[in-house]
Amino acid sequence: MTGETPAGLQETQRSRVSDDKIATVTGSTFTRLVLEGKGPIVVEFMSYGCAHCRVMEPVLQQVAGMVNATEKIFRVNNAVDQELVDSYEILGTPTLVMFLNGNEVARVEGPRPTVSSVLSIVTQAFQ
Amino acid sequence: MQIQKQTTPVLLFNDECGVCRHIARWVYQSATGNVGEPSILLQPIGDDPEALRLLNPELDIWDAYATIHLLMPDGSMRLGGEAVAEVLRSLPNTRWFAWTFAIRMFGFRPFQTILNVGYTILADVRPIFGCESCGTPSVWLRPIGWMRRRVKALLGTRQHPSPHFTSFSGVKRRQPEVAADRAIAAK
Repeated sequence: MTGETPAGLQETQRSRVSDDKIATVTGSTFTRLVLEGKGPIVVEFMSYGCAHCRVMEPVLQQVAGMVNATEKIFRVNNAVDQELVDSYEILGTPTLVMFLNGNEVARVEGPRPTVSSVLSIVTQAFQ
Repeated sequence: MQIQKQTTPVLLFNDECGVCRHIARWVYQSATGNVGEPSILLQPIGDDPEALRLLNPELDIWDAYATIHLLMPDGSMRLGGEAVAEVLRSLPNTRWFAWTFAIRMFGFRPFQTILNVGYTILADVRPIFGCESCGTPSVWLRPIGWMRRRVKALLGTRQHPSPHFTSFSGVKRRQPEVAADRAIAAK
């Protein structure tokens, strides 16, 4: 039987699980981490069942690693935190909402899933 | 983290996908057809990555949505066509032919290869049946998807707006002031 998970894939899965650079915020932690947070913060409203979010995930992880010192990136799981979705009028996933010192300064819906595109979005929003 | 021990294979399915739900229902009915314990348990993937990791610490929710996963009692996972073969081997009404997937000829498993191709095609076709969580249809399927939408529009079938943007939705930038103005204007 050769149906077991290939070693390479297992390795990828393990690294993906342990190297998550984007913390998940929930309705109960949103105020403390985002609205009361200092400096630029990016929140990705996403859903695990969204194919485009799946494409965006490695891109955003890479960007999170690049901007780690200056900006924080969080995710909100739309399926779980419907109240946040309603209060921020999120029309679809993925949506990136940029906050500066707790105030929303910009948002981008359905960004192109390339590192350069997402990096320019999350940096230009705060300039 | 408490890992859940299981004695029966668990088939994860995408509960946001109509095709997947139909197949899962058929598997459930086949697995529970005989009196006694079902030969396979079914579980929707859901939205909680931590809950999935309780089933198998190496299970990634993104991978679970991308490819069919069968979690084996020994802790291993079967993916894609291999998972389908294992499911067919476990079901009482398909067991009689599922042994063919293990047949090797010159180090090659011809029936398993056919099954893998079949699974790939089915996985590719799902988006045109309205599964928004199954990705963007492949290039060869896009005209079919386009025709399907046109026919639906001609028939007056209501099309629900997608909760997910796709690579083809186009980037939309919105300033919060504009959004607030729109909300005020709408009122």
